[in-house]
Amino acid sequence: MTASKTAAVTAGADTALRHKVLRRIKSRPTTRGAVILLGILLLLALLAPFIAPQNPHDLASLSVMDNRLEPGAQGMSGITYWLGTDAQGRDMLSAILYGLRTSLLVGLTSTAGALAIGILAGLVAAQFGGAIDAAIMRVVDFMLGFPSILIALVLLASIGRGVDKVIIAIILVQWAQYARLMRAAALVERRKEYIEAAVNFGLPTRHIMLTHLLPNSISAVLVVSTISIAGAITLEATLSFLGVGVPVTQPSLGLLIANGFEFLLSGEYWIAAFPGIALVLLIMSLNLVGERLRRSFNVRGQ
Amino acid sequence: MRRQLLFAFVASTCLLSAPAWAQSLKIALSSEPTAIDPHYHDLTPNNALAAHIFDGLTKQDEKQKVLPNLATSWENDGQNRWTFKLRQGVTFSNGQPFTADDVIFSFCRTLKNETAIAGSFADITGNFTAVEAPDPHTIVITTKAPDPLLPNFLSGLAILSSSILPHDKLTFDVAKNCGVTGAWPVVGDFNDGKLAIGTGPYKFKSYTKGTSVELERNEKYRGPAEPWASVTFVPVPNAGPRLAGLLAGDYDVIENPAARDVSRIKDDKRFGHVITPSTRVIYFQLDVEREPSPFVKAENGKNPLKDARVRKAMSLAIDRDAIIKRIMDGAAEPAYQFLPNGMFGALENPPKLAYDPAAAKKLLAEAGYPNGFQVTLSTTNDRYINDSQITQAVAQYLTQVGIRSEVDAMARAIYFPRRAKKEFSVALGGWGSTSGEASSFLKQWAATPDESKTIGGSNYGGYADPEFDKLIRTAITTLDDAKRSELLKQAGTKAIEGGAFIPLHFESTIWAYKANLNYVGRADQFTMAMQVKPAK
Repeated sequence: MTASKTAAVTAGADTALRHKVLRRIKSRPTTRGAVILLGILLLLALLAPFIAPQNPHDLASLSVMDNRLEPGAQGMSGITYWLGTDAQGRDMLSAILYGLRTSLLVGLTSTAGALAIGILAGLVAAQFGGAIDAAIMRVVDFMLGFPSILIALVLLASIGRGVDKVIIAIILVQWAQYARLMRAAALVERRKEYIEAAVNFGLPTRHIMLTHLLPNSISAVLVVSTISIAGAITLEATLSFLGVGVPVTQPSLGLLIANGFEFLLSGEYWIAAFPGIALVLLIMSLNLVGERLRRSFNVRGQ
Repeated sequence: MRRQLLFAFVASTCLLSAPAWAQSLKIALSSEPTAIDPHYHDLTPNNALAAHIFDGLTKQDEKQKVLPNLATSWENDGQNRWTFKLRQGVTFSNGQPFTADDVIFSFCRTLKNETAIAGSFADITGNFTAVEAPDPHTIVITTKAPDPLLPNFLSGLAILSSSILPHDKLTFDVAKNCGVTGAWPVVGDFNDGKLAIGTGPYKFKSYTKGTSVELERNEKYRGPAEPWASVTFVPVPNAGPRLAGLLAGDYDVIENPAARDVSRIKDDKRFGHVITPSTRVIYFQLDVEREPSPFVKAENGKNPLKDARVRKAMSLAIDRDAIIKRIMDGAAEPAYQFLPNGMFGALENPPKLAYDPAAAKKLLAEAGYPNGFQVTLSTTNDRYINDSQITQAVAQYLTQVGIRSEVDAMARAIYFPRRAKKEFSVALGGWGSTSGEASSFLKQWAATPDESKTIGGSNYGGYADPEFDKLIRTAITTLDDAKRSELLKQAGTKAIEGGAFIPLHFESTIWAYKANLNYVGRADQFTMAMQVKPAK
């Protein structure tokens, strides 16, 4: 059996599995609900600049005279604030739509970045073994030994704040788990006969790594990453809540909750509650979808 | 004196035997003192705590009027010499008598204080050329230049007991270590209380950073005994939990509840509150010196803040009344100068700093910035009342006239060192006048620094106006009150016209407490157990 033939067979099995997964997702009402909800949230985030009544990042469009208005109240300029306003007179509905955008942007890009680094590191460690493997895995152990929030806090305290810096911090915190998972999957795959055959054929190492090892061991990592997007978003929200995340004039969901937190006791619940609900829905739908995928692919992640 | 002691004894025994009210008092603070060492940092929370354990030669009342304390009287010879008569029969909490030696010792310590932040208190004693004690109850201070405010400043300088260190004969000779033979204490040495020996109405019991400071009544105090056998200060930086703690009965007194929450306790018979105007001015300090400035971006590459018209436009763009109404919930007074009307050296009727966005835009265009420019406003988010919210509101107003503003809010522990390194272009500041005079802000912030750094220490924006400098330098060495007041008014007017500082408002301080207590608010914003008495 040639290597490419094996790959084709594996790919065929993959396609069958994919159909099965899709079927299962469709058949479960909770999962289906989660997928639909996630789709709606993604759409809202994408279309935010077109559907939001106000651009909350443009300070000139805010009015402090309209601050802390109740949901449904009308502002001085005639605009209706359906979800109320915060202490700066920001329309909460617009702020949540833009906040969703920031949260998803941070979650997706940082996960993609962490995936890229983690997959590469895990693949290299599995392929070359020995000292290189040991070196990479010690770094991974070191990173996983600390609570991720602690590393991110220290990083942001030293490099400053901003959306880009939060993304960098989350990438640095999360790549290690992917590297470990990728290495494990690739090690299993490397012992299979078709890889040995490819090696015996004298194919270049890079070719084996990229065309055989990578596509056949990546599924586990990809599945786990869907859950990790939720983790990245939560981490961003936590960092912003603690005041080291995004700038105060461009609030993410976490920062909106932090801003509203001080008004809870004054009875102005809407400043914290609505962004809180949005964040819960986002994380919940991501988790449900990710978890379903994980079970369907039977991945023992994390 | 003996009668006073007797009274104190009788009063305290009565209190001990009368369980009419709980003798312990718990106070929640919004800003934690950073040390027990009273000479560590000249900071409002630290000074307020120190005033419980230590006395100064003088003290200030609720309205910042100077009164006798460890000194009973003082006089000035019309020049550089001050003579202070010390109170007799005073003992420290460790039983040692208070004499002129303790005063010399404490003055020396401020000059030998290696851990002090930004030369705290050394700015007072650094101006002394000689301190002599002709007898154990008299102190004669000679200053380099005439210092009309010396009695005001000495109210904040805590007198330590000289018995805490081994020493020979104490003299004010810093080169010879003042006669002290041991090592001068550093900030950490005070935290376990062994060195925290004072003559104040309370004495130190325990201190856990971030958790609590506990004090107990000083039974050796010379005055009437305080009604509280023990006082606990708890830092609760968030306004919400602070108020929740009061409502739940955990705290007896809280400082700075959010002004918007006052309505919650106003109609509740279980609680009382007091709102006291303070001398603390909140303002923006502009970088008017550097070219380019780190956080300003203009199309022509220059620093627009150097142009007086731009600074005027910035002030015109801000609606102070709206900020006070919507952000401060009314608990502030608009500031058109750096000290409230009625205080010494403040203008009676300062011209109003109006809100006029159209005029602001016109001025910007005249200055060559019709399309505005970009700026980052730097601010603390945990020091002044609503500091970060105020800065964001100002950013809105500036953006509306074309000055596109961003806000960088950070904790004070990061902010203050960065500001001192001149890392900002437009920085929020707050300043309470410790002396109760207009000179406090003007000489510290607006004056060009002199060689010895006793003035202009916080002039981070590089404001330099020779005429202003002449006025303020003359004012602070003028002993004649009428003349000094006139000079300060002229200097204050110049500083406002210069526009390097944009004043926003004067904070009002709020205290809330259980209805069975009375609280007297202070203009200097000190939160003190001495202000709390059981309601009759």
